[in-house]
Amino acid sequence: MSNNSNHDMRTPLSKVRGLGSAKDGTSHFWRQRLTGLANIPLALFFIYCIASVAGKSHADTLAFVANPIIAILLLLFVLSGVYHMKLGMQVIIEDYIHGEKIKILALILNLFFAAFIGMACVFSILKISFGG
Amino acid sequence: MVELALPNNSVLKGGKDWAQAEAAGNYKSFKVYRWNPDDGKNPSLDTYHVDLDTCGPMVLDAIIKIKSEIDPTLTFRRSCREGICGSCAMNIDGTNTLACTKAIADVKGEVKIYPLPHLEVIKDLVPDLTNFYAQHASIEPWLKTTTVEPEKEWLQSPKERAKLDGLYECILCACCATSCPSYWWNGDRYLGPAILLQSYRWLIDSRDEATGERLDDLEDPFRLYRCHTIMNCAKACPKGLNPAKAIASIKQMMVERKY
Amino acid sequence: MAKSKAKAANLNLDAYEIIEHEYDVVVVGAGGAGLRATLGAAQAGLRTACISKVFPTRSHTVAAQGGVAASLGNMSPDNWKWHMYDTVKGSDWLGDQDAIEYLCRNAPKAVYELEHFGVPFSRTEDGKIYQRPFGGMMQNFGEGPEAQRTCAAADRTGHAMLHTLYGQSLRYDAEFFIEYFAIDLIMEDGECKGVVCINMDDGKIHVFRSHVAMMATGGYGRTFFSCTSAHTCTGDGNAMVLRAGLGLQDMEFVQFHPTGIYGAGCLITEGSRGEGGILINSEGERFMERYAPSAKDLASRDVVSRAMTIEIREGRGVGPDKDHIYLHLDHLDPALLAERLPGISESAKIFAGVDVNKEPIPVLPTVHYNMGGIPTNYHGEVINPTKDDANAIVPGLMAIGEAACVSVHGANRLGSNSLIDLVVFGRAAGMRAGETIKPNTPHAPLKEAGHEYALGRLDHARFKKGEFTTAEMRLRMQKTMQTNCAVFRDGPILEEGVKLINEIWQDASEISVTDKSLIWNSDLLECLEFDNLISQAVVTMEGANNRKESRGGHAREDFPDRNDKQWMKHTFVTTDDVKKKVKISYRPVHDFTMTDEIDYIKPKKRVY
Repeated sequence: MSNNSNHDMRTPLSKVRGLGSAKDGTSHFWRQRLTGLANIPLALFFIYCIASVAGKSHADTLAFVANPIIAILLLLFVLSGVYHMKLGMQVIIEDYIHGEKIKILALILNLFFAAFIGMACVFSILKISFGG
Repeated sequence: MVELALPNNSVLKGGKDWAQAEAAGNYKSFKVYRWNPDDGKNPSLDTYHVDLDTCGPMVLDAIIKIKSEIDPTLTFRRSCREGICGSCAMNIDGTNTLACTKAIADVKGEVKIYPLPHLEVIKDLVPDLTNFYAQHASIEPWLKTTTVEPEKEWLQSPKERAKLDGLYECILCACCATSCPSYWWNGDRYLGPAILLQSYRWLIDSRDEATGERLDDLEDPFRLYRCHTIMNCAKACPKGLNPAKAIASIKQMMVERKY
Repeated sequence: MAKSKAKAANLNLDAYEIIEHEYDVVVVGAGGAGLRATLGAAQAGLRTACISKVFPTRSHTVAAQGGVAASLGNMSPDNWKWHMYDTVKGSDWLGDQDAIEYLCRNAPKAVYELEHFGVPFSRTEDGKIYQRPFGGMMQNFGEGPEAQRTCAAADRTGHAMLHTLYGQSLRYDAEFFIEYFAIDLIMEDGECKGVVCINMDDGKIHVFRSHVAMMATGGYGRTFFSCTSAHTCTGDGNAMVLRAGLGLQDMEFVQFHPTGIYGAGCLITEGSRGEGGILINSEGERFMERYAPSAKDLASRDVVSRAMTIEIREGRGVGPDKDHIYLHLDHLDPALLAERLPGISESAKIFAGVDVNKEPIPVLPTVHYNMGGIPTNYHGEVINPTKDDANAIVPGLMAIGEAACVSVHGANRLGSNSLIDLVVFGRAAGMRAGETIKPNTPHAPLKEAGHEYALGRLDHARFKKGEFTTAEMRLRMQKTMQTNCAVFRDGPILEEGVKLINEIWQDASEISVTDKSLIWNSDLLECLEFDNLISQAVVTMEGANNRKESRGGHAREDFPDRNDKQWMKHTFVTTDDVKKKVKISYRPVHDFTMTDEIDYIKPKKRVY
């Protein structure tokens, strides 16, 4: 026990109750499980795609991606994957980063990063699909 | 950042070997964590040699023998010595467990004994459980009813009662909570396996009428959702309970009422 | 007397920080009785503190297994009067029948209250509280058949109750002082004014002023070498009362539980026999049929313990040394064992290496319960008899639970009557405090500092340079009690015991404590606990030597029969802790009931 005047003198219950329940977290939990579930077939599909275009020419690859079914599934994989990544990274940040300011900053960066990566992928797939 | 390494003043330094003169006997070494709050020194690991021929079979018997015959200053909690009070929880041979039900024979080589991990130490093997107890109080561990109480008992079918098995037996020893990495990093906000198991004991009690409010209070990214299903809790529980399963059931209830 | 001793010793008492508190009610002990009283007093609007040397759920109530007796009649016809008859008979007529009536009448209400608090009782098919047979519990005023009266939560009833009571107590504005060790009472002009404690965490001395102090400190099983009691069962409240110049009652009555695990001493519930378990000797005989033809294995505990001891003595014990008995559960349905007796199945595995489905458990009568303690009336108020009034009360002091001697258990307690004792009298004490104290009544200043005596003892123990350690003294005491004050007691052995235990009492002032710290100094606290134990050991031995008859748990080989003419009376014992002398006197047993609804149950021969 330290004697300094900054010592936390709240009661143990006050510390434990803190700011109260956020009444939230279930959507995060549910969506992480849902995207996790979706990622299983989507990731298998993505592996199939990689295998299909391996060794193919650039034009063939573009044509493959431009296929509407392929493009839709790839878009789904990107959205589900990126969202899952964002949710997962958020948990890791909350787990290990305890300074409130740096934590908020990290959470913002995490969101921005995921949004940017997601948008970039979506834009690329759409561009290929619509023959831009 | 979360503290991943021990602070300087908590690093183990040295330790006394309480070697005895007598040669005869069936001796086993016990390395025990010592920290004296009075002397300002770092914690140390003392070595004691216990004659197993004149000692009871459990680790607690050995620690009591050390305190009685070798070093009366060795400090630890103990009470019932039969695994029901939860006082003598400590880390033995790398596992959180009760000293009174852990057989010495189950430990190969020397027996290493530390206090429960990642709690502040008051002295030697006595950790500060204030936060743990406050968390227990915070879940309001009592039966909540609004309906006027009956003259006799609330009725509960054997099947409904059976749902409390594996939950009400918890002895609040904190072995599970202090084996959980998530609790190590976020013990201030995460309720941890023991308290969540206790929560579920009240959530699933057919007599309780406050299930919704209880779920409201638990639904929180930290209080509940820091559980990452690491399962150390189920492995550590000296009573053979499965807090991880109870937590999974709470999460299921959360989803059920939402979707 | 005692007070001047501390002063004369010129100790350095300024080295301790003193913190003062003022409460209406201070409860010492947070087991079943202490928690029930704490929440009762808090409910009554009284400013209440509860002090405990262990976290509440570590108290020894947690280890109670079989159940809590109340005539609910869920499983067999029942009536509180039948429960009362059994309790009186179990007590071998030494119980005070007004108190027993209070206990048995209020038992159902107390159990329903526990159920409403949330205790997870096992259930019958129609959803009611499950009740099992227990030793000495019969229908029709002892005529039989057996009554299923013991309400159970599997074989973890005490655990379920204690955790539930602790949870409940969090609802109310009672303040808990956990890991505080109570050292002594503050007495002034024959009144109790409070309690002095040390906070184990930092060594600060806390002086609690109270209008009522309640001793809920449990029994003193640790005076014996082999007991089912926890290490913390050191009867601190009893010893505090003795040091305060007050008396204890019926201390010679120590209950041996028939089924402590051989070697480890851990308890195997009587409920195991209630569910059909039987005791077998080396000849494969169910010997209880000979000793108690109708109740058999479910006779009262003292009867079964004596029968087992005789079997072993006569060479029919089991094991290589023929020194214990087998408890068979292996003929019972494994599903029943798993549902009703999971806890003892686990204990038998851990402490005896036995799979109860296949092998018998080695058991031995083991010290379990103290019928004696602080004399009280059925409100929980402590009694200090005067010349004119055998029931005169001590203002400001109450006692409940195993620490108290109401006396409902008399010379022998029936199994499952202790848990009901805790809640019925815990509740009664809370209500009595509510009736007698006006909330927030100011405290009159003490004439002299209340903590000096207690602090003097603490400081003396801490710095005394003696030749013995606490552990060796404790072992001497425990071995002496075990050898000289056992299931069967005999004149010459008791005489020797009195001599030996008094020698140990004398030597007790020559203890050295190694640890001088003020933070969690368990070496010092064990020394204070030993000091508490030894005075109780002495009065137990002296009481046993003094009572020249056999009654309930006190079996004299030289006086094998009950002698109602001479000994139908409570032993009342006080000590002088300076001269180390014991004084024995007597109190009459109440030969009346509480109401007209039941007549005094006249003594007769006790046969099961």
